Parts: sequence; C-alpha cells; structure tokens
Amino acid sequence: MLAELTERADDAIRVARAAGADEVFASADRTRGVEVQVRDGAIEKLEESTSRGLSVRLYVRGRYGTYRTSDLRPEPLRAFIADAVAMTRALERDPFRIIPDPALYEGRSTEDLGLLDPAILALDMDTRIRWCMELSAECRHERLVSATVGANDGHSLVASASSNGFRGTHERTVHWRGVGVTLRDEGDARPEGHYWVGARHLADVPDTARVGAAGLEDAVRRLGATSGPTRRTTMVVEPRAGARLIGLLLGPANASAFSQQRSFWRERVGARAVSSRLEVTDEPLIVRGHGSRYYDAEGIAARPLPIVTGGALVNLYVDTYYGRKIERPPTTGSTSNLVVRPGARDLRAIVADVREGYLVTSWLGGNSDATTGDFSLGLRGHRIERGQIGGPVQEMNVTGNLLTLFSALAEVGSDPWPYGSTLVPTLAFEGVQFSGA
Amino acid sequence: MDPRLGRRSFLETGAIVLAMPGALAACGASPRSVAAPPPASPASPLAPFADVFGVDEAMIRAALAELTSRGADQAELYFQSARSTSIDLEDGIISRAHASVDLGVGLRCVVGEQTGYAYTEELTRESMVAAARTAAAIASGGRAAPPERIQHVALPHQRYAIEIPWRDVGVNDKLPLIQRAAALARAADPAIAKVEISWLDGESRVLVCDMHGRMVYDERPMTRLYVTVTAERAGQRQTNRANIAARRGVDFYSEENLRTVVQQAVDRTMILFDARRPPAGEMPVVLAAGASGILLHEAIGHGMEADFNRKRISIYADMLGREVAEPFVTIVDDGTIEHERGALNVDDEGREAERTVLVERGRLVSYMHDGISSRHYGVAATGSGRRESFRYPPMPRMRCTYMEPGPHTRDEIVASVERGILAETFTNGQVQIGAGDYTFYIKNGWLIEDGRLSAPIKDVNIIGTGPETLRRISMVADDAQLDTGGWSCGKRGQTVPVSIGIPTVLVRQLTVGGENRAG
Repeated sequence: MLAELTERADDAIRVARAAGADEVFASADRTRGVEVQVRDGAIEKLEESTSRGLSVRLYVRGRYGTYRTSDLRPEPLRAFIADAVAMTRALERDPFRIIPDPALYEGRSTEDLGLLDPAILALDMDTRIRWCMELSAECRHERLVSATVGANDGHSLVASASSNGFRGTHERTVHWRGVGVTLRDEGDARPEGHYWVGARHLADVPDTARVGAAGLEDAVRRLGATSGPTRRTTMVVEPRAGARLIGLLLGPANASAFSQQRSFWRERVGARAVSSRLEVTDEPLIVRGHGSRYYDAEGIAARPLPIVTGGALVNLYVDTYYGRKIERPPTTGSTSNLVVRPGARDLRAIVADVREGYLVTSWLGGNSDATTGDFSLGLRGHRIERGQIGGPVQEMNVTGNLLTLFSALAEVGSDPWPYGSTLVPTLAFEGVQFSGA
Repeated sequence: MDPRLGRRSFLETGAIVLAMPGALAACGASPRSVAAPPPASPASPLAPFADVFGVDEAMIRAALAELTSRGADQAELYFQSARSTSIDLEDGIISRAHASVDLGVGLRCVVGEQTGYAYTEELTRESMVAAARTAAAIASGGRAAPPERIQHVALPHQRYAIEIPWRDVGVNDKLPLIQRAAALARAADPAIAKVEISWLDGESRVLVCDMHGRMVYDERPMTRLYVTVTAERAGQRQTNRANIAARRGVDFYSEENLRTVVQQAVDRTMILFDARRPPAGEMPVVLAAGASGILLHEAIGHGMEADFNRKRISIYADMLGREVAEPFVTIVDDGTIEHERGALNVDDEGREAERTVLVERGRLVSYMHDGISSRHYGVAATGSGRRESFRYPPMPRMRCTYMEPGPHTRDEIVASVERGILAETFTNGQVQIGAGDYTFYIKNGWLIEDGRLSAPIKDVNIIGTGPETLRRISMVADDAQLDTGGWSCGKRGQTVPVSIGIPTVLVRQLTVGGENRAG
C-alpha cells in the first residue's frame, strides 16, 4: 500500500512539472477509521470508512500554492494538478518562498518509533463492541442520566516525495476508548464527566474497567458544583488540563507570529522570561509517542529541540519560509511531542502543601492574545482547603498575562498525562486572579 | 490527514465551541470543476447532476438496495462535491493560495436511534455498495421495500442565488479585491505595522437521495474576507481582526463592504492601546447588538438541540413549556434568512429549512430537530439536521440564532447600569450542555460607570449558566441586528457555518473574568 501511495506522489510530481511547476512536494495518504458508540448499553453508532487524498505544494516562478483533492480518478486528477499550476502562476512573486534545502532532509532517525501496532490492525467489530459494553457496565450510579461510551481506531499511511529529493513514508495506528457520563444533580443541572484515553498501541491503553470507573468518578466529583469567591490565590492545574496552558504559552513561539509581529515572545528570546522551573522540549522521537515522527510536514528530519530552558525561550518553531523572513535557520514548523520536564512530586503531594486555592480540572472557553499574552479562561475544578481537595467549583474565570502567570510557576509535578502529544504534569502557580461569586 | 485524531479532542471534553474562524477548515476545491461525467440518460431525474458527481441512477438504486437490505427507519445517500479556494496576503504580497476538491458520498442507515454510517470517496458502484453494506450492519431486520422511482424534488426556495458561481471566478478577479483591502488597512493609521488579508470562497454541491427515492439537490456558496491588523505605538503592539462572510458571490466585495470591514479591524485594534481589564467578579453586563448573539448560541442554543434532549443530557431536557425568561424575550433559530452564513434551502437530510421559534415571549416552545429526534418526540422535523461533510452523519444544529427586538432602547439600557460592562466583540464561546455553564470571550468592550461608557476594556472571559442567564435578561432594546462576521460552530468534531444576532440586551448579573489589583 505504501508503495502505491509513493507511486501516486511521484506521478503527481511528474504531472505538475510537466504543467510548468518548478518544484513540487507531494503527499498521498490513506486512512481507515472505525468508530463504535454505545449509549446506556445499546449500540448507538457503528461507523467504518476509508479516506484518501493527494496533497501537493507547488513552487511556480517564485509563486506558491497548496492543493488537495480526494478525487483520484486519473483524468480529474491530471486536470486538478494542471489547474493548480495555472492558479499558482497567477499569484504574486514572493522572494522568500523556496522549497526546503535538501540538506535538511538528511539525518533522519533510523530507530523504530513503534508507531504501528499490528494488534490494532487485527481488531474486529465484535471486540470493539464488547469493550464498549464493558465500559458501559462500569457506569452505574443512582444518579445516572445517561452514559455514552466509545471505542475507535485509526490506521493511516502517508507517502511523500519532492522534486528536490525528499522521499518518506510513515504508517501509524491509534486506538481510543472512553466514556462520557451525565448525572442528575439538584434542580435541572446534569453535570457531565469524561475520560478518554488513546495510544498508538493497544497495550498502552488502560483496561475498560479503569477507564469506565475514571469517567464515572469524573462526573461524580462534579455533583453540587458552585461558584467560589473572587480572589487572588494559588492555582493547581491537573495534568489533563495542562496542555491548554502550555499551548497558549508556546503557540506564539514561531517564526510566522514573529514575522507578523504577533508574538509576546518577540523581544524576549534567549533571556529568562518565566520561572526557571519551566523546561520544555520538543521531542519527536519518543517511542510510541502520539506526536512522534521521523520528519516534519516540510520533510525536515526530526530531532529533539529545546524550547524553554531555565525559563528562557531558546528556540522557535521555524519553517523554511518564515525562517527566511526573520533570518533564522529552519528548525521545524510545528510541534511534535511537547514535553514539560517533570518535577519530584505528584498532584496529591503538591496540593497537601497548599493552604488555600483552586484546583483546575478542565477549562471552559476563554482565549488569549498572542501579541500581548493577556488571557482569560473559564474553568471547572475544586476548592483547595488546608491541603485537601474540597468541593467542586464552576462558573469561575482565571485572568492574567501568560508571562506573569508562568513567572509565578511554583512547582511542576511528576505526573504527566500520557494520552496526548503535549506531556504536562501537575502545574502550581501562585497569586492568580480568580473571579467568581 | 487522520480525521479521527482531530475528532478525539471534542469527544474527550464534551466541549462545544463557537469560534471566529481563523482559517475555515476547508475541504474541497479546484479552480474549476473537474468531475468527469458518465453519460446520463436524458430521461433520468439524475441527468442534471450526473456530471457533478459522476454517478447514475442504477448505481444509486444498487447502493440504496444494499443500504436498506436489513431494514431501516431512515436511510439516505449524501453526495457532496465541494471546492474551496483560500488566498492569503501578508507583507504586501499575495503569499500563498490553497485550493481543494472534496468529492464523496456518505451512506447512513438508521434503525430507531441507532446509526450505521460509512462513506467513500470512490464513486463507483462497487465502492458504494460495499460502503452501504457496512452501514447496513447496524440493522438486523428484513429488507425494506425499494423505491418505485427516483424522483427529483425541486428546492422549495432559493435563498442564496448568486450571479456567477465561485468555480467560474478566476484568481485574477479576486487579487485586486484582496490588494484593495490591504491598501485600505495600511492607509488607515500610521501606527499600523502589519496587515494580513485572508480570503475564502467556494461552494458545496450536495445531492440527498433517501430510501423512498426522494432526491434533493442544493448548491451552497460561501465566502469570507478576514482582515488582521497589528499596530505599534510607543513600543507596544496590538493585534485585532474583523471579517465579513456570507453565502454570496464576488459582488459581495463592494468598495463599501471592503471599507467597512477594514475600518472595523483598524478601530478594534487601535482602541486596544487604551483598553484595560475591568474588575473581576459579578456585575451587570450589557450586550451590544449584533455579535453578542454568541450569548444565545451558548446559553440556550446548544441546550435546545434535540439530540441532547432525547438523550436527557441537556439542562433544558425537562423545561419545554416552562417560562424561562421575561415576556419580551423571543429567541429564534432560522435557516431562511437569505444569504446568511447559516442559511439553508434544505438541511443535510433533504428537509426544508425553516424558522424555528425556541423561546416565544419567555416560554420554551421547541427544540431543534433532525429526523431521529422528530421520530423520538413524534413532532415534525425543523430542518436542523446538518453535517460538516459527507464524512459525517447529520445531527441537530443551529443555523442563524437571534433574539427578536424588545421594548427598550440602547440608551435606556446603558443608563440603567451603575457599574458594569458593555460587551462588543467576541472571539469564541463554549458550553457544557448538561451542567449548563457557558462562556464567551470579550475582545473589545467598555466599562460602564454611572450609566455612561467610561473606558475601553479588552480580553475578558464571561461565564454563567444558561437558564439562570435567561432569567436575568432584564431589558431588551429595539435595535436587533445580525452580526456581519462569519462564525463556525464545532460540535462533536463537526464544524458548520452559523450566524448569530441580538438587540442590545442587559443581563443583570454575570461573572466577569477581570482583574483586581494585586495585594
């Protein structure tokens, strides 16, 4: 199958060159996905499909366009690529636009990253349904309104090639399982709890009993939630909720935002800007990692990249185009696995030392301004009282500036959430503005 | 590359998001239509569409027969041919374009509240029948009767006719409009350091053919122009954005419309230099007419989608018929407003889109229904069954959600507030439909002191619970308007275009994510 996809990418390069493209980067992909959903013990949805497509990036006389089609019939495909070249030619010349330097394709890891699990490929529908029934059986509670559970998996293959010598293929599997539980609270409220876990290998996913119990527990702990008082106090963020904060902090750490002057990091590279407790690395070569890869979207060979060291931003995400604009060598244009270096203690130990504050378990809406770092987020979580996790809170916001917030980072936990590509342990911050009742 | 990976994050949190689209997740498009037509018999009702999708009646009949071979309460084929083009300008140069073509068919078999679903991008008889077999596996009964004939049903209304389809508009007609918008923005203020323009156009052509042989064709255009401005003053930088969007053609981009959206982006950016955070805590919130319709979308709209109610997981599940707001509050979800982003001729189940009153003079009167929920409740569907593309089954979704005008005036409302805020522009919102807590993020607004707008504010999140907020709507002005910007709504991994609107409204008390002085 990968050979067939490679051939399709090569064909696309030939057709595009013949139509007048100077340089071409082409990728052909195929993804099979299966989804089973069970609600309150009855099958609600069975879905199974295979998706495929062809993407090309075209460089035509200093002009640039990207194109994608799912119509792979030979004639329409040829016409699509010819039209794409013609459209690109009609754009404007951009002196910064070139295909990546082929030297950046070199040095790709030869290690097996373990991204393909034959056990996922061998799954049958009955097994997925059985898992869902097991998950469903865990969600028993006197206040249960409804529980929807699911088991899904995907298998994707991509082959890429470029006119200046890039060649690469990768094949990945993923399996997800989880539950969403709704309970009846006082009045009309029906609090929800969720617990979803996914991994590239079946063996890395907790069993259905644990997942179901965790989802139910997530809903039970929401019962009786109220708004807490407006105050400045300590904020502890659960590992599951940490990725959003890290994403807001490092989202503007890229060459595109720098070149358009839309990044609060712009005048702060290399100098300590946040707490020296924060250490973040982009780690593309983690075995079985959600975001692991051998090369990035441009074909640049993947290697670990320190992002924040000792509280200073030491590297940016730089692709070829924006690298030329801001005169920095390309690193990679996008995150792979973002790893926050863990500390010594877990959530429970960290909370035990907090006299008063809030524990954030999930965010609700909110946003941040990438140019200034100002943010304001809705949250749900718990009170912390004398080292103990207390009653649930909702209808609260936390507001501030990301640099100020991360300067007040008091501790990083030992317990990263493993089921995603941003690996963040418990985070504790001091003097954070909460608004509530 | 892997749609299922992207969908996870939505399932994981149960989050439902309304966002100002930074870049619309565009599937589908080439500069020209490229489908190769098989010869269609002129007698076939399919003849006018055969060249769009490359299928014939025999193929459709074969797929329908397989799809209903184990029985079905509802089943349909949803063909889609979508194309879109986006073009970006930055640093004074048209720096990139993207175009895509998306062609495929989604096949759904519904038994009771159970759904079997499959799709294929290969529109051959063999692939379609195989996908139909997969979708039919949900059922276990006897074969449903095949349709006697496939009958094309004409659209009941045409709500977004445009003169020239986007597929026939060349890049050369678009670039001058993009460059004009950039020139206007650069000239607007000497403090402006960077201007980015993002253009999108396209259309989705859909053909819905149900198990009874009823076939509906709809062609849905869409366009949007996004203006991002970054300005510098005394070493400080501020960025803000504005966009206009509609189901319209290239004539949408009149000089007047370009000037309006550019001025919005510039004004919203420049005022940020003087803006600050309001105090934190509970206070009265005045919602300015237009974009504040985000409140309705989050606080009540999602909770009134019937799938959440038939599953009993919405906070509104037991509230139908109840008084939920003052008698001057009427809230509507409407697919019939011409050229709106949320307008539809028919929904994605092929049903006529209608105007659905959710709250009538303070009383909760109707949910938004798709086929499954209308059978569950024994009521007529409301034409609210929507999907992102042929890759997804439909579910009840909002279209254009707004509040009717009320008895007060904007001046009266502002004057009535001793200390609070006025919310003007927004970037996103989110809701938990069971607990009922929702948020929206204010990008621009004003502090109100002693009944007057006293100072600009920025970057605050607002949080409340839906039913409580409805009860606290104490004044509604007569200045109802729809937002001219484009909004995208995400639910369970599917994004659809929607519109929002509202008159100036006072909510007596909401929690404002401001900042009090440290210490």
